[in-house]
Amino acid sequence: MLIPLVRRVVRLVVVLAGVSLVTFAILHVSGDPVSLMMPEAPEADRVALRQAMGFNEALPVQFARFLANTARGNFGNSFFHREPALPLVLDRMPTTLLLTVLAMGLSLAIALPIGILSAVRRNSVFDHGATVAVFLGTSMPVFWTGIMLILLFAVQLRLLPVSGWESWAALVLPTLTLATFSTPLLLRIVRSSMLEVINLDYVRTARAKGVSEWIVIWHHALVNAALPLVTVAGLQFGLLLGGAVITETVFAVPGVGRLIVGAIRQLDFPIVQAGVFLLALIVVLVNFTVDLLYIYLNPQIRVR
Amino acid sequence: MKRWVLVTAALAIAALAAAPPAVHAQAKDTLVVALVSHPPTLDPHMHFERVGILVNINMFDSLIHRNTKLEFEPSLATSWKALSDTQWEFKLRKGVRFHNGATMTPEDVKYSFDRVIDQTKKSPQYGNIRAIKEVRVVNPETVHIITDKPFPLLLERLVFFPIVPKKHIEAVGDQAFGTTSPVGTGPWKFVEWKRDQLIRLESFDQHWRGKPAFKHLVIRAVPEIATQVAEVKTGGVDIIRNVSADIVPELKIHPQAYISSTPILRVHFIELDMRSAPFDKKAVRQAANYAVDKQTIIQKLMAGLGKQAATTVQPLAFGFDPEVKPYPYDPKKAKELLAQAGYPNGVDITLHSAFIEYRPVFEALSQMLTEAGIRTTPKMWDPGPAWNKFFQHEGKATNGYYGSWGNYSVFDADAVLHPLYHTEPGGWIGKWYTRVEGLDKLIDAGRSSVDQPKRKRTYSQIQQMIREEAPAIFLWTQYDTLAISKKVQYAARGDEWLWLFDAKPATR
Amino acid sequence: MSIGTLAPPTVTVHEGAARGAERSRTWRKLARNPAAIVGALILLTVIGAAVFAPYVAPQDPARQSLIRRFSPPVWVPGGSTAYLLGTDQVGRDILSRIIHGARISLIVGIAAVLVSLAVGVTLGLLSGFLQGRVDTMIMTVVDVTLSFPQLLLALAFVAALGPSLTTIIVVLGLTGWERYTRVVRAEVLALREKDFVEAARAMGASPTRLLLRHLLPNTFSSIIVMSTLQVAQAILQEAALSFLGVGTGSAYPTWGQMIALGRDFVSVAWWLPTFPGLAILLTVLAINLVGDRLRDALDPRVG
Repeated sequence: MLIPLVRRVVRLVVVLAGVSLVTFAILHVSGDPVSLMMPEAPEADRVALRQAMGFNEALPVQFARFLANTARGNFGNSFFHREPALPLVLDRMPTTLLLTVLAMGLSLAIALPIGILSAVRRNSVFDHGATVAVFLGTSMPVFWTGIMLILLFAVQLRLLPVSGWESWAALVLPTLTLATFSTPLLLRIVRSSMLEVINLDYVRTARAKGVSEWIVIWHHALVNAALPLVTVAGLQFGLLLGGAVITETVFAVPGVGRLIVGAIRQLDFPIVQAGVFLLALIVVLVNFTVDLLYIYLNPQIRVR
Repeated sequence: MKRWVLVTAALAIAALAAAPPAVHAQAKDTLVVALVSHPPTLDPHMHFERVGILVNINMFDSLIHRNTKLEFEPSLATSWKALSDTQWEFKLRKGVRFHNGATMTPEDVKYSFDRVIDQTKKSPQYGNIRAIKEVRVVNPETVHIITDKPFPLLLERLVFFPIVPKKHIEAVGDQAFGTTSPVGTGPWKFVEWKRDQLIRLESFDQHWRGKPAFKHLVIRAVPEIATQVAEVKTGGVDIIRNVSADIVPELKIHPQAYISSTPILRVHFIELDMRSAPFDKKAVRQAANYAVDKQTIIQKLMAGLGKQAATTVQPLAFGFDPEVKPYPYDPKKAKELLAQAGYPNGVDITLHSAFIEYRPVFEALSQMLTEAGIRTTPKMWDPGPAWNKFFQHEGKATNGYYGSWGNYSVFDADAVLHPLYHTEPGGWIGKWYTRVEGLDKLIDAGRSSVDQPKRKRTYSQIQQMIREEAPAIFLWTQYDTLAISKKVQYAARGDEWLWLFDAKPATR
Repeated sequence: MSIGTLAPPTVTVHEGAARGAERSRTWRKLARNPAAIVGALILLTVIGAAVFAPYVAPQDPARQSLIRRFSPPVWVPGGSTAYLLGTDQVGRDILSRIIHGARISLIVGIAAVLVSLAVGVTLGLLSGFLQGRVDTMIMTVVDVTLSFPQLLLALAFVAALGPSLTTIIVVLGLTGWERYTRVVRAEVLALREKDFVEAARAMGASPTRLLLRHLLPNTFSSIIVMSTLQVAQAILQEAALSFLGVGTGSAYPTWGQMIALGRDFVSVAWWLPTFPGLAILLTVLAINLVGDRLRDALDPRVG
């Protein structure tokens, strides 16, 4: 199993380099960060700064330098904060991760029971109703869902704080908002995985043996759904990070997404590069883990 | 299956490292303010953002302060006088303490200026005080500020020029000073800064003015307006600023909040590109001014919170001439002027704006222009790199754009005229758009003397000239509108400052 | 990660008459489902509004009227029958803007998907046919795209290129093409194994023929389903971009832009963002319902 592992690691590195390249390219096409840093300075000052920061060198040279620095973990100093970019990003990463993980957890907690029930009572009112209700969550732009939830639970009902990240209560609305985004997909998977096994022989046998129907259903549904769920988890993670960006803005959550959005506006290259790189790294690592898990869980693939 | 649980558990535990702290009760002695963002650094000399200024003024003092009537007041300097056209003397207050216990000395004053004048430090505020050549310590109570030529804006600039502790910064370094240990002489001292989340400050008991009424001050960063408004309504936040005129009526009658609004320096205008048709013709520029019904827009779209302006020089600024009258609304005259200029069937233009809060206003005035024959396509931009590239950098020929200018709270006509209309590099718009004969010379005359009556005459001349030449569609000056919780007593200021020392718990 | 998308239909090759019978079975399965029918009706309404917008909209969507700003919907006191769903901050009719918004929202959605299709299918074909290094390269690009936080990618692009309809469409198109590549590639690889391909080639049939006759019909159902769902995704993504401030900057807003622009006024004029929000909700819901049942119907394994 060593060679596939090595191959995957190489793939990982190449992907990360690719991500860096794309980020680099887009940023340098975006415009001149120096004029954003010193908008009122005379042109002479700006020219001097551009020279000092190495922007006048050929792009491939700049990129090579950037890659070398990245490998060493040095993303340079944020143009606006004047501190190293990497710690600034790392500082906010746990918050975004917590939000994302909680949202995924909540999604699973909703998708599993409802998905199983929908499959068991296929085409019933419950099935259709659940489908529609869950799809509602994913049919609205995330920011709108967030604002509506604030209006309902915080302003009208006064049950929860409006925004922020200072208490456990403050976590609820952002997590819920983000979860509405990812639940439908997981629900679909659970439901269809369930449908695949529900009529299989061993299920009937188990029933005949007198094992409680629900235990059978849960056990087999979970086992069968595990694989596709795990697979999709990696994909979902990437999508959730995107939704997290918006949720962080609406709920004033001090996460990485918000930081990067601001940095893109200000052309704060080091922050954008560090932030995107780290997010990509996490997504890639999650997928990597998922891949390993998949190989482990699915004996047929191991042979490959 | 079990492994699944283990993996999930491991992930969860790792993520819990970011768990939020225990609940902080909203105590009565805590004032909570929400801004749209945090400044990039707490070092008062190393940024140029409004939110930075708002945070800094509560932690740092400057030589001069402005009271609620916007008059100069002694702060760290108890008195000052001009020794010559280029030299000023400042007497310093005795016994002022920094938050770390050290006493303020004139060396600290000199050090504060030196670190901005020193170009290797790359302070973005350098341009504001470029005229200052040297700061000299004369004796333990006196400093002299020497400028390289007469600098009439000196006192204005000193209102926001925080004094910082030399020994402390030399000990901890610039970076730490801006992030973990900002020390000043202001009414509040630093406790902690959770990036993008909150800045926690505590009252400084030895502040020379006395203690502020609130023991704790928390400055949160809440980027979304709807969220800010929801917070004020539910009592989560006590003060928010830049409240849109449309939300004002609702908040005015809300049981938890009230509105405080006052005119400020920020002036709005549509700068016109005089290099190309049709605005190369004066008649067309004047027609545009007659075509927009500014009063109606102020009443209907700005809840009356605005004052029509004759030119871009604001009523609150030194040099304002009330004799120069604004253009009245006269669509007929506009059409006549258009015909005179050779456009009897009207003309097509595009206007640009990156001023998102005033988008409805932008669209409304585009409509008015269209009705008078100047068929306008309004193009709205997001104020980011693309806009910057288009407008600043490339200086493309466009017909005009919607801009605003706040003078950086300097109440002087030069602070708006020079950046907007002077053609020297560094002038914002003059660089690309304005070509009014003789304007450069007059502006230079205005800023090179400290003889106030003489300057006033020069500025009257400039305003008459600008009004006639109409390099812009002159609009209005806006108001600063705050929404404040009924638990707190505070009033908006004409310099847009949040001087929270004046905030008190409401008496019931 | 080579699992592909969510369980595409098993690859079987249908021939002639069998295909016909399949199709009518598909329609019957679809028709039995009330949710899908409701969804289809909604979609037809939306498409109708988009196509006939200038004739159906009661007012000119760009006409302002400062006296009539923030008029509430007709059923609220103060509303008027001329402005059924109320007016916005400069007095424009919300209903008319929503009807015209259907047009532009659908254009953005569909155009974005077409871009995705074009890029994705082409790369999938190249990947599957040429194999070797081209294949590895393309799959790496796929991985890179997937690892990139997509919204940030879109944001960076638009920030760089400036707000315009074309930019938004291209950017949205470039954040969804991978699924098509995967499906097409998988199909090509599977086909290569089949005997009849060898036989056909032996008989002198050209590769293009093979493509058209065998490849496309098999991927057709997956692609249809994915495209349908992606239109919904594109509409929502566009709303997200508008929220972050990078709208198209034009006078004719998409629904997403209407919500983004109206959200600040939700406490004084709830109808501003709510109705476009409902429009998106119903449309996306309808697309999801139809798309979902379409997938069920086209999948020979289920049911």
